[in-house]
Amino acid sequence: MNHYSLWVMEYAHVLQMPTSLFVYGAHNQGHRKMPYGYIVIKGPDVVATIDVGYNHTAYGEVLATSYGVANWQPARAVLAEVGVAPEDVSRVFITHAHFDHMGALDQYPNATFYIQERELTKWVWAMSLERRFRWLMLGIDPADIMKAVDLARQGRLVCVDGDRADVLPGIDLHAAFDSHTWGCQYVTVRNDLSPNSQNTWVFAGDLVYAHENLRGTDPNDPQYVPVGLATGSQFSLIMTAEEMTKRAGGDYTHVIPVHEERLKDLFPSRITRAGLRITELALADGEQSRVR
Amino acid sequence: MTAPPDDHTVAYILESQPLFEDLRQVAAQLAGLLVLAATGSRDAAPDHPMLGAAEVLFKETLERVERTRPTEHARPHRDSLRQAARALGEALPAARALLASPNGADFDPVLIPLRDGYSHLQRASQLLPGFRMVAFEQGCCAGGL
Repeated sequence: MNHYSLWVMEYAHVLQMPTSLFVYGAHNQGHRKMPYGYIVIKGPDVVATIDVGYNHTAYGEVLATSYGVANWQPARAVLAEVGVAPEDVSRVFITHAHFDHMGALDQYPNATFYIQERELTKWVWAMSLERRFRWLMLGIDPADIMKAVDLARQGRLVCVDGDRADVLPGIDLHAAFDSHTWGCQYVTVRNDLSPNSQNTWVFAGDLVYAHENLRGTDPNDPQYVPVGLATGSQFSLIMTAEEMTKRAGGDYTHVIPVHEERLKDLFPSRITRAGLRITELALADGEQSRVR
Repeated sequence: MTAPPDDHTVAYILESQPLFEDLRQVAAQLAGLLVLAATGSRDAAPDHPMLGAAEVLFKETLERVERTRPTEHARPHRDSLRQAARALGEALPAARALLASPNGADFDPVLIPLRDGYSHLQRASQLLPGFRMVAFEQGCCAGGL
């Protein structure tokens, strides 16, 4: 049985992203599509998301014209494809503070947001450094930090220090410090609610971009290969890949990278009229399929 | 298609890019301090080194903004930088006062001018090419083109 329905919601994409971003050291190996997405978790009386996408009003045009980000759709349109409105979302688990994961905080008026305290404090520390260290600030929008101030004042920002179990029934947060960013976290959903679940999904954020990060390129001789972008270390990424795979019961297909276009080869999906993909990972009892 | 800027405007752009980035940095530093205060961090105190760094950077940048010589075409951009600097100049002492008494303190004297300053920077980023509110380069969206 499934307690939660789980969908991967694409909200924009880049058609030609260098493979070296997905896979560390994969230089001169062409390009591939990179979807931008977030996860919807729908339970009997709760809707949560993992990440929220970015603020198109502020920099959508720059992203479109300078970086090839195409087909952005707002949360209201994306979520409607699975029968959800932004107002229905009561919990949001932010994997890390990059603009494409937490830029749309203000689109969810009733949500409480969970982020690792270290993610905030280390970004703040990076801001105090001199200009020559500005690479450490990449992908961070000061406006998102101001939104976080508002959330904190409203009591809607929960700063987590390390792992936290059962933030919702069967849903756990796991810290992955000094990896893709300083205070990354990933989310597990034990979809049978059992402490020793045999039905665990791992939502990797940007700790994994593609299945090669978990399997390498030789199916007969798998290995972990980190993503091509890290503020922390490749070592942390590899050790976190092992940890996530174990939590998924050794089944790498239950470790979900939102930027992996080939999820469609593993799970049922459909393309919406807006040209974005919805991938259905699990359906709760009584929930109708949104892809068939 | 928009015509490329003339040589004098390009010179202004090159001169003002680091000023824009410095003002953006001051705004980010202030926002970061507010997050620490709003989340109850013990680090949120007036002796936090970032507040001093923001004050120094702001003072240096303010003087340099005033020294820029925009072309007529670039004048609205420089006006936006000046307005941003004016707002941030209001937010900085308010931030020092806030951090001195974070319990039950009123964030608005900092947050309102900070937002104002940020919106002027956003406007500046839209008026001329070469100004970015977020460093996307080398990030997870970069390299697509």
